[in-house]
Amino acid sequence: MEVTLNHFLFVSGLLFAIGLAGVLVRRNVIVIFMCLELMLSAANLSLVAFSRFNLTESGGPDYNAQVFLFFIITVAAAEVAVGLAIIVALYRAKQTTDVTQINSMKN
Amino acid sequence: MPAYYLEIIVVVLGLTVLMVETFVSLRDKRSLGWLAILGLLVVLVLNFTVVETGGEGGNTPFWSFYVMDIPAQWFKGLALLATIFVILMSVDFSRVLSKGICPEVEDDGVDDCAENQVALSEFFALPIFICAGMMWMASAHHLVSIFVALETVTIGFYVIVAFMRRNVGSLEAGVKYLILGALSTGFLVYGFAWLFGVTGEMELGAIADALNAPDVHRTGALFAFALILIALCFKIGAVPFQIWIPDVYQGAPMPVTAFLSVGSKAAGFVILLRLLEPFMASEMLNANVTSVLVIIAAATILFGNLAALPQTNFKRLLAYSSVSHAGFLLMAVASAPAHPGVVSPVAAVSYYLAAYLMMTMLAFLIMNLIRVQRGDENLEAYKGLAKSSPFLAFAMLVAMASLAGVPLTAGFVGKFWVFVLALQEKHYYLVAFGVIGAAAGFYYYLKIVKSMYWDSPADAGSSAAVPVVVAWPTRIAIVLLVVGVFYFGVNPGALLSLFL
Amino acid sequence: MTDNYEAVLLQFLLAGGFAGVTLLISVLLGQRARRNKLKDSAYECGMLPVGEGQSRFSVKFYLVAMLFVLFDIEVVFFYPWAVVFRDLMEDAETKMFFWSMLSFAGILFVAYLYALKKGALDWKPRH
Repeated sequence: MEVTLNHFLFVSGLLFAIGLAGVLVRRNVIVIFMCLELMLSAANLSLVAFSRFNLTESGGPDYNAQVFLFFIITVAAAEVAVGLAIIVALYRAKQTTDVTQINSMKN
Repeated sequence: MPAYYLEIIVVVLGLTVLMVETFVSLRDKRSLGWLAILGLLVVLVLNFTVVETGGEGGNTPFWSFYVMDIPAQWFKGLALLATIFVILMSVDFSRVLSKGICPEVEDDGVDDCAENQVALSEFFALPIFICAGMMWMASAHHLVSIFVALETVTIGFYVIVAFMRRNVGSLEAGVKYLILGALSTGFLVYGFAWLFGVTGEMELGAIADALNAPDVHRTGALFAFALILIALCFKIGAVPFQIWIPDVYQGAPMPVTAFLSVGSKAAGFVILLRLLEPFMASEMLNANVTSVLVIIAAATILFGNLAALPQTNFKRLLAYSSVSHAGFLLMAVASAPAHPGVVSPVAAVSYYLAAYLMMTMLAFLIMNLIRVQRGDENLEAYKGLAKSSPFLAFAMLVAMASLAGVPLTAGFVGKFWVFVLALQEKHYYLVAFGVIGAAAGFYYYLKIVKSMYWDSPADAGSSAAVPVVVAWPTRIAIVLLVVGVFYFGVNPGALLSLFL
Repeated sequence: MTDNYEAVLLQFLLAGGFAGVTLLISVLLGQRARRNKLKDSAYECGMLPVGEGQSRFSVKFYLVAMLFVLFDIEVVFFYPWAVVFRDLMEDAETKMFFWSMLSFAGILFVAYLYALKKGALDWKPRH
């Protein structure tokens, strides 16, 4: 069986859907955060797949996409560092990481 | 001077502020705020002197990442102005901020942490980095540089929204902004991946060409468009992705709320304009894209204005008002230039955002003073303000009139052009929704004016009767903004001549 | 190509199926345990548990881990840079290439100085 672009896109779509579903149904902020990372990974996978299958005139993969991937990974790392710091601070203040408990601002 | 020097200067300024605080022990760290403001003012002046395009060197690889056209220059100016006002507010706000960072004050009443102004300079440095990100965003013309600039701004905002780390409201706002911001990043990146997959390009000009080609994969292109639109609707706060706005605006420290509502929104719109351009220019996709935008714009205007009606917290009220203004701006974006008319959507959006900056910053500067000196963010605190501080009450009156769209103010001209554009494109339903929204707007903005001028404070003789102290830099800023609102309301051509 | 993997697929199905069936049987046949405080404790006889289930650890570990992630990830940009370094340095037009990476490293260095001076890497208690 030949592995084609569609296979990669299918897996990446699946990853994205799992991540999105996790963000919507999970209640623990940390798990939600992991699901968000999953969504970014899904995008990374499609980028690499597109880069591998959309060849440029020279016949090589389009490295633009792979460089983009580096940037996404870096940004994700920065986001995690900041995000976890905020979650830790929230845990110290409220002793919970449950999103349903984060609701003190309703009018 | 090449345009990208501006961003470099701003980044270096931010690093300088950070390093000065780290290695020099200052008696009053607020002086770093003045340093930042001074530096940004210099950059603002330099912004008028830069070369517009790459010139002769315009075909080096760098210039596929970066463009310098009139909208870019315009939005760089807006970003700088917004940051200057925000840092000015932060200087006023520093006392409250230090309290929000420190552990509970011990019984002896000595507040060491606030005396030492812990972490205050980071609060001055971060907006500068965010400003650099916004400026870069105004010029970004490549998916990678758009993404990196946008994330610089977003991650910076995560930090400053949750900055008061002992304050539960600020932390909650931070977590909410974090999750929804990261979610929108996920959508954006996935959309970019698909856009790249469909077109095989990353530079927006090349993407536009590829989308215009007859053999482009239509479903794929629309899927990419939908993902990107969802992401950007989060950023600008358009219905149905506006859920985070009220809570985050209410919980964040006051200067950050102002920055979010002006800076973040302007940045979101400049990206939206840039990214929509290729889709709008494509014959095949134009109709779908426009109809989606029209629906979102109508829903946003209606929701923002109606939800603002019952609010009693001023910050929350302005949050909903910012949603409604996003709706009006989207109305202009949806009216693509099928045929060139009086004014282009880019010009209308640029003008509207400038007007929005002036009137919103004016309102926030005053709210900030009231928050610091009376400790109250509710509308109650504004009762009888006209008696105790007539100057502030008048400035607030101007801001509210402009936000509502009273003629002779900048806000009116902004709305006027948006409606002209929508009529020109024959979006009659959208115009109807816009009129309903604007009418509702009159009610809740003028409610505040009424309570300032005709109501008397709940308990007379308390703090409400004491005049609010206004430091001279803040006073200058308020006067300038009031003059600006009137000047550009009476004489809109002064700004628009740039675009014509 | 597909043929070779049929055995693997079969193995997965068998493994999953066995696990699923076993779990199902235990749900169907087993008695639902009633939870109470005694049952949830570590042992039903012996010493009572003392203290928290999760041990607390210092936030310093977290801080160092975070800084590691941030500085570590930046290396990702040095690799592609190093790969094309020689080609690009031969061309006079792309001489900026060297300085742009140097400025990137410079910003990281400033960040490092900041972390150092703020005591983020300081393991001794400060009071």
